[in-house]
Amino acid sequence: MAEPSLVLNGATKRFGAFTAVDRLSFKVPAGSIVGFLGPNGAGKSTSLRMALGIMTPDEGSVTLFGETPELSALRRVGFLPEERGLYKKMTARQTVAYFARLKGLTASAANRRADELLESTGLGAFARAKISKLSKGMAQKVQILSTLAHNPDFLILDEPFSGLDPVNQQALEEIIREQHAAGATVLFSTHVMEHAERLCESIVMMARGRKVFDGTLEAAFDALGRRARIAVEPGFDLPAVFTETGFQLERDAADHEDGADWWLVSLPDGRSAQGALRTAIEAGAPIAGFMQEEARLRDVFVSLVEREEARGRLAPDPEPELQPEAL
Amino acid sequence: MLRSIYLVARRDYLGYVTAWGFWLGLLITPILFSVGMMVPAMAASSVPVRYFTLVDAGGEFHAAMVEELADRRVRRARDLVEGAGLLLGSDADRAAALERFDAAIEAGDTPEAAMAVAAPQLPELQIPERDFVLVDPPAGTLDGLRPYLTGARQVDTEDGPRPLFAALIVTEEGVEYWSENVTVDGIKALARRAASDMARNRIFGDAGVSVDILDDIRAATPDLLEKRLREEASADSAVTLADRAPFFVSVGLSFFLWTLIFSVVNYLLMGTIEERSNKIFDTLLTSVKLPHLLAGKLIAVLAVSLTLMSVWTLGGIAATSLGVSFLPGEAREMVGAIAAAALDPGILIPALISFLLGYLMYGSVFLAIGSLCDTIQEAQTLMTPLLILLMIPLFVVIVAMTDPESPILAVLSWVPLFTPFLMILRMPTDPPFWEIAAQMALMVVSTGAILWLAARIYLAGAVHGAGVNDAMGYLKRSLSFGRG
Repeated sequence: MAEPSLVLNGATKRFGAFTAVDRLSFKVPAGSIVGFLGPNGAGKSTSLRMALGIMTPDEGSVTLFGETPELSALRRVGFLPEERGLYKKMTARQTVAYFARLKGLTASAANRRADELLESTGLGAFARAKISKLSKGMAQKVQILSTLAHNPDFLILDEPFSGLDPVNQQALEEIIREQHAAGATVLFSTHVMEHAERLCESIVMMARGRKVFDGTLEAAFDALGRRARIAVEPGFDLPAVFTETGFQLERDAADHEDGADWWLVSLPDGRSAQGALRTAIEAGAPIAGFMQEEARLRDVFVSLVEREEARGRLAPDPEPELQPEAL
Repeated sequence: MLRSIYLVARRDYLGYVTAWGFWLGLLITPILFSVGMMVPAMAASSVPVRYFTLVDAGGEFHAAMVEELADRRVRRARDLVEGAGLLLGSDADRAAALERFDAAIEAGDTPEAAMAVAAPQLPELQIPERDFVLVDPPAGTLDGLRPYLTGARQVDTEDGPRPLFAALIVTEEGVEYWSENVTVDGIKALARRAASDMARNRIFGDAGVSVDILDDIRAATPDLLEKRLREEASADSAVTLADRAPFFVSVGLSFFLWTLIFSVVNYLLMGTIEERSNKIFDTLLTSVKLPHLLAGKLIAVLAVSLTLMSVWTLGGIAATSLGVSFLPGEAREMVGAIAAAALDPGILIPALISFLLGYLMYGSVFLAIGSLCDTIQEAQTLMTPLLILLMIPLFVVIVAMTDPESPILAVLSWVPLFTPFLMILRMPTDPPFWEIAAQMALMVVSTGAILWLAARIYLAGAVHGAGVNDAMGYLKRSLSFGRG
């Protein structure tokens, strides 16, 4: 079995009294696409900076390609930081070539690769334009190309979709798929769950510095459970119909504004939403509405966070201090 | 390692030297230096002609004033010969030129003719244009002069109607000086000398002694011959320009190093502020180790400063080579003496070491300051006290110009922050070797400590996002711990 590209084992990072990342453990298998999900401030960027050796964990360990994240391992990584920035006076071609050279390419190979990438992404005409003269979207594209210029084995992308318009988000998703198809491992963080739904095989979810889920996308949806919504005329006793049928019912707290009584039906393994509806109809229930719930990753996330909070594992942390120990 | 340092240094260097600001600095600095050196001469030649009048019923003071104006012109010519005589090489040559000048004046030559006789090998000298011109009084009383002094009316002069700058009125009590300008003292000084001469002549006359006795006293006064011990007993012991050249060169080099270091370290400050605001450090640090990044940045700006130094030095050599052919032989010798002093290993090697360590010291400080700041305004908060501190070496340079063995210079040259600029000022006085070695060692240790501290601050600022307030807070906490 191939060695994981990245392993975090109990990695913890504190800034003063504030714990930004708390005993985080997960693996990124070689050749996979892993989504690193969580709201803003969850500790994703700090975790990625530890993964890249920019920060050292206070506790726990990080291994990149089986070794500590030193430059030899980082040569195989392409990193797109959350806070983007380029040298404004360099041209697009110089920028891509410069970062490629820093990763070990020769001058001629770096220039050739820069030309290829800029042409293939429609920026060929702007190759000799200074970054300061490019639009924000174009500059972001140049930064993404700089990440890819040395053909990395492992792409670590921190909020890669933020700031991109829908067309460029689509284009970036394509790039990620292409890189993955070419054999690269991809780890990307995002707080927009839809990107992960479309791209990932597995996900790691974080909230308030702690991991709340680590597994496949399928397992994440399973963790939420499948549900359906059934509405009946007011006064009808729907729970009585479902007694001893295996379906679990609870009143739907959502405001449907139609005057009907709405119920949430949890679907056990092997039972479908249509089966639940059929049970109700056969019992003569006056059906006023029916919805098969499409589970979304955001619901999974909310549900997991609520569950962890209920277990007391996500106590609020004090306000962060700005890294005083760094001085 | 070397490759990543080279790539960072190359990118930064090309970034600096392709900016228009670099070319502006490269070209404008020598121009500003030249203009700065010419300012005193320009100021002297741009003094306006001022007209004054003298009301003297007796006429004795008037005669003294006219004679004083003529003497002043001779004195100015003599000063010119003396100043230009510096180009003649030895003190003996200069003294001989002055003797020839005095003899020509004594023989009744005009100041211009006397100057030509005194130093025929020098380019033609021009006596500065007259600045104070005595005109006939337009009125005999203060009330009559009042409209002229206030500017309501103008006096008739050889150059047409002009404002009256001042009026001297001889009264029984003395000589009154009337002018609306209270800062220009030239006419007052002339009047004092004229009054003194007038009194001297009167007293000597009353005593039956000729005024010429004063000239006899001057002629009989023995010359002061400046000598210096030589290693070879047979060598000429007279002090020449070659003896003074190392002092001129050390002062010039010290000032040059100060200017150069503070011209280029600003590049580091601005570059780091730009990178911090560009949020580019995370990208860089996945490709380059932090020490290599810092080394590359320091080397880039060092290369910028070496470029500036090379261009200015080569330009200076070219200009001197061209200009020296127009100079008389003695002046060429002076240029040679200064060049020899500048190339003397006893001065050159300490100067290069001082520059390198001074650059690393201040470069790393500016790099650290830049890493904490998002804007130049923030940086100014931290830089102001530093810049005030760094004015001290400049003041000490002025002290060293008159006394290179001043205790202030000797003491302050031990302060590592000042050593790069002050140690070199002491070199012409041949300080003990152990002092130089100890000061260099102290400078090396201090530079290492500052680099270490700057790297820590850079890590906090550039990588972890600490700002000016965090640094201040940290400092306050440290101080309070120190008190506790």
